[in-house]
Amino acid sequence: MSLNRDIVLKGVKDAFGAPAAILFAGMLGFGAMGQANGLDIWLTSATSFFMFALPGQVVLVEMLVLSASGVTIAIAVTLTATRFFTMCLTLFPQFPEKQRSSFYYLVVHFVAMTAWAVSMRDFPKMKPEDRLSYFTGFAFVCWAVSTPATVLGYMVAGQVPSYINLGLVFINPLFFLLTFTEVKPRGNRIAILLGAPLGLLSYLWFPDYSLLIAGLFGGTIAYMVDKYFRNRQHA
Amino acid sequence: MLESSELSTMFNDAGMWAALIAACVGTYFWRGFGVYFSGKINQDSELFKWLSAVTYAMVAALTVRIILLPVGLLATVPISVRLGVSIVALIIMYSKPGERMIPALLVGTFGLVLYGLVMNFLG
Repeated sequence: MSLNRDIVLKGVKDAFGAPAAILFAGMLGFGAMGQANGLDIWLTSATSFFMFALPGQVVLVEMLVLSASGVTIAIAVTLTATRFFTMCLTLFPQFPEKQRSSFYYLVVHFVAMTAWAVSMRDFPKMKPEDRLSYFTGFAFVCWAVSTPATVLGYMVAGQVPSYINLGLVFINPLFFLLTFTEVKPRGNRIAILLGAPLGLLSYLWFPDYSLLIAGLFGGTIAYMVDKYFRNRQHA
Repeated sequence: MLESSELSTMFNDAGMWAALIAACVGTYFWRGFGVYFSGKINQDSELFKWLSAVTYAMVAALTVRIILLPVGLLATVPISVRLGVSIVALIIMYSKPGERMIPALLVGTFGLVLYGLVMNFLG
């Protein structure tokens, strides 16, 4: 593994704009949520440090409050994390194969929706050998701001009026929604349009499996539609 | 001797930490698994295109679900407000593609804060 210091710092610098601010806000909201639900500060901030997946963290807190069994909680959270499998399968092949090392198993912990969405958008404009350095700097910042933000959110929870908390918990999903408008490949655009309604519908009947159902069906249909149009263009 | 209530609190704490550890291991499992298999995938292959579509469908499903069928604090806001604010943000985003992320985010977020403020004032 050899990272280019200048490119790592460029990733750090880019992260310290909107991405870190958005994640910071989301984690502030999450810290406040942990406090409001009577969890202790260690447990609340440990989820940001060790899990670093906001939707899964929210599921964890909600199920803890409902006194669900540990096994049920672990299964539900693990199922919402399935997306990381295909997120990594689409992110890491964009790094040159000669850079592959056990370092990947460390940097993968920093993979979450923010860094992934930005990478999928910007990697095509970047030299392949620069991508790992850039991602390391960018994603590390995203992870590093999360735990302090959670602790801070927990500590100030009592003093923050609920209308501010509303904004804090809304900013992350809104950011992801807005990044979808910047997705270019046609197959991925169709996948977003199909995945959203499929996810809603399947959530009503199979909440635990709704992401898998939406991903497999929506993604596969989108892929086939895209392939059909690609074949027609070549014919 | 501990009171039984203290015992049950201790057990509860241990149970919570056990659930947390299991959930973190489960989450890392998918990340590590992804890294492990990523070496076998070429970014120009059909498999990569299919996996990308599946991932985008999954994250779109998750995002839209959090906005339209939320749990917790967001659920106290009527769906019409969440939907309306999201649509306004999307329109701002599309008004000048690639340059309106921050204004769209700010308008959407402040829209929701404003709703909370008004409700606070009325209620």
